[in-house]
Amino acid sequence: MAKLRLDRIKPLVALGAFLLAWWTIPTTVKSFLKASFSEFQAPAWVATSYLDDLENFWARRSHSKVELIEAGREVARAKSLYQFNSQRNETLENEIQRLEAILNLPSRREFRYEVARVVRRDLNAWWQQIVIRKGKDFDIPVGAAVVFSGGVVGRVVEVGAFTSRIELVTSPNFRMAANFEGDERPVVYQGLPQSGFGDPLGAVRDAPKDVIASTQIPLKLVSTRLGGTFPPGLMIGRVSWLEPGNTGIFQAGEVELDTRLLSLHEVAVLIPLYPIDLQDDVP
Amino acid sequence: MSGYDIHRGENPRIIFFFWIAMATTATLVLGLGWRQLIAAQKYEEIEKRQTERRVLKPGARGDIYDRKGNLLVGNRAHYSAVVYLDDLRREFREEYSKIIRAERAALKEAYQLTPLKEREDSQLTPDYNELQWVARQNVIQRYIDQINLITGRDDAVSTRTIIRHFNEQLLLPLPLVSDLKPDEYARLIEQVPVQSPIQIHTDTARYYPYGVAAAHTLGYVQKVNPDPDTIPNDGIKTYTFKSKIGKTGLERSFNDLLSGEIGAEIWRVDPLGFQDSLLDGKTPRQGENLITSIDIDLQMAAETALGERTGAAIALDVRTGEVLAIASHPSYDLNDLSPFIPRKTFGEINERGAWLNRTLQLSYPPGSTFKLLTSIAGMRHGTLTLQTEHDCQGVFRLGNRIFHCHARYGHGVVDEAAAIESSCNIFYYAEGLRMGIDVLSAEAKRFGLAERTGIEVPYETKRLVVPTKDWKRERVGSGWVPGDTVNTAIGQGFLLVTPLQMATFIASIARDETRTQPTLRALSYVEAQQVNHGGEPVGLTRKQRAELWEGMERVVGDGGTGRLVQIDGLRIAGKTGTADFRAHGKEVNLAWFVGFAPVENPQIAVAVMVEGTSSLDSYHGGSTAGPVAKDIFLEFIEHYPERAGFQIAR
Repeated sequence: MAKLRLDRIKPLVALGAFLLAWWTIPTTVKSFLKASFSEFQAPAWVATSYLDDLENFWARRSHSKVELIEAGREVARAKSLYQFNSQRNETLENEIQRLEAILNLPSRREFRYEVARVVRRDLNAWWQQIVIRKGKDFDIPVGAAVVFSGGVVGRVVEVGAFTSRIELVTSPNFRMAANFEGDERPVVYQGLPQSGFGDPLGAVRDAPKDVIASTQIPLKLVSTRLGGTFPPGLMIGRVSWLEPGNTGIFQAGEVELDTRLLSLHEVAVLIPLYPIDLQDDVP
Repeated sequence: MSGYDIHRGENPRIIFFFWIAMATTATLVLGLGWRQLIAAQKYEEIEKRQTERRVLKPGARGDIYDRKGNLLVGNRAHYSAVVYLDDLRREFREEYSKIIRAERAALKEAYQLTPLKEREDSQLTPDYNELQWVARQNVIQRYIDQINLITGRDDAVSTRTIIRHFNEQLLLPLPLVSDLKPDEYARLIEQVPVQSPIQIHTDTARYYPYGVAAAHTLGYVQKVNPDPDTIPNDGIKTYTFKSKIGKTGLERSFNDLLSGEIGAEIWRVDPLGFQDSLLDGKTPRQGENLITSIDIDLQMAAETALGERTGAAIALDVRTGEVLAIASHPSYDLNDLSPFIPRKTFGEINERGAWLNRTLQLSYPPGSTFKLLTSIAGMRHGTLTLQTEHDCQGVFRLGNRIFHCHARYGHGVVDEAAAIESSCNIFYYAEGLRMGIDVLSAEAKRFGLAERTGIEVPYETKRLVVPTKDWKRERVGSGWVPGDTVNTAIGQGFLLVTPLQMATFIASIARDETRTQPTLRALSYVEAQQVNHGGEPVGLTRKQRAELWEGMERVVGDGGTGRLVQIDGLRIAGKTGTADFRAHGKEVNLAWFVGFAPVENPQIAVAVMVEGTSSLDSYHGGSTAGPVAKDIFLEFIEHYPERAGFQIAR
């Protein structure tokens, strides 16, 4: 009888021993174990994503020639539009540089970008992360901004040898400075715990009280260059209502985010070309 | 046989103990009952005092607007990085243990190195209390270093600050870095992890969109601890965030209106005083807004026209007395005083003499603008008639003294209108002597020049002088002489008035009354219809008034001293003045212009005073103060064309 009881508590003893050991080992060892575990998992995720790509490739092979020709035309149209926009951007860039020279202004922060495939989505109520297929091998730094065609995606929080983990803009652990389009005053954007059923939402606070948002004329919340991570003007979401916060002077409200954020396939990581100079750089 | 039967031996000692036990039990039961039923409330109050803390948060101040709804004073975000010490308790403990271990090791080593004879036991005991503060400082400084790294600042925290915060404001957040710039705030928002104990605290600071405009009138605020009377006296320990009170200007006069409603939070705290749970809360509420009579367009015109010069400019609505513009120079940017006044800024403003509100805090001789009052006094007293003429040869002999006119070779024969137009001193010397100082002083007092105007801005000077014979005897110690009268008649001598008084004076003339009550509150339509300035009619006949106004209109005419004020299509009546004044330890010029327009239906009254700052400055009313007034009139035409008698451009 006594032996049976001992058998029963064996798992609890083992769990207790494991927790005790985990509690006593140094933090550096824990970090090392965690990183090793990630690196161990990463090749499997990468391999899965390549298999997905291959599957998509074979799926597209089955399309008819007519469909492919039509798709080719679409691509050609999009390409010409992008070429036109690219030229216009170049002209604007030159104009900005000329004005900066006249006004003796220091240049804005410049970025290079790395386009990367999404290999894994880790989405739940408490955190919202994705893993991309580029890491230290492409010099991706921690803290870099991640964007897509619809605006802000998030920020790099962990970089492995061949993968990087991105904290999504929808995550409650993601916070950034922002401003309403056309208004230079900074506000705070932060992700919210997501319900999993509705559209992704975030929260904005510290909005000046003279800012008015309505469902008829929602305000665009965009990134600001003040924070140093994101280039200015990237779309974060739309704000349809604001209400006075607990200070009685600033407002807070919800931000409707892009639904594509939860089904991304490809993102771009913006890597600063030079480290920020806190004294001289234009914020 | 029950188990108790064995005690039936009737041992008397057991009865004795029985009663003792009964008495003790009864005492306990009664004591318990007394505490639970009768003294319960008292204990509840003690428990409340020991376990509850109140945090008071002042509401934001109300905004101040101009008459058209433009924001003159608002609230901007004031960012600081703070930390609640409760969130750092674990780190404090860990750091303390680390320091204690290191200290003990160091002491032990030192002890072992000390020769045996010199060893004392106390050498092995560290100062635990001091080390506790060191540990706390280390932890807090680490967070400040983290902020410094992100923002490029070089801030630090002292042990004294931490001790004071622990003892006095434990429930309030400890400011790590205050007054963050927007880019610093944005960087911290992005780079400090969400889970970090560092919180970005957003408070309000006063914000002035127009910077220097009406700085002296709007005023500034100062952070202070709330009035102890506003804290409930219920025994609960109360922590308070600092609130803002108006120190000068409208911020001070309308402090009660503008101050927000205080919000409160009641926290349950643990035995060490750290917050445990929020029991109750009330959100602070912003104060009421104030709508002023100022028109920011006219105000900016006055500010720009005064430019770098020292002086004052005021524009009043003739009918209601509402102040449309009120500028005092040198001025200062109110934004430099928010959220607090840096010592350097204070010194710099002080050095420029810019703290003084020259519209109402300093008094000056009115110079020739006072001749209008001399005229009115003479006409009312009967010494000055429409036929009165004087021959101006440039000098006026009075006993053995010679008084000069500003025209060296004189103006020739002049009547009243011509005397006003050319600002002839000789005419007014003679008229002053004829009516005497008693009449002149009485008339000046009738127009309120010896009293403060009562405008809603504090610190209006009491140093207003309308001299009389008694006044001179008391204050100067000598008798009144005719020379004093002639000086007073042309606005010199002992006379001292403020530019605001001269603005109300000219507005009164424009309305043909003796008083104008200036106000900085925008009046509603009904209030504007019911304004009572508290004066009486000037008392001139229609012809006398026409003569006076004709002279004033000729001042702004082609041959007048104020011809630079001329505006096509707008009839302006005015008077220039140039006075000598002792300021900054030297004799300087004062240039004056007072006037109103349009003559056919007066709407706006303007008074401008420009003060020379060097004996080399050669200021004249017409050429120095006149153009400032002209700019104000032009702005009035642009923004109120229908009131200025112009067709509204569509």
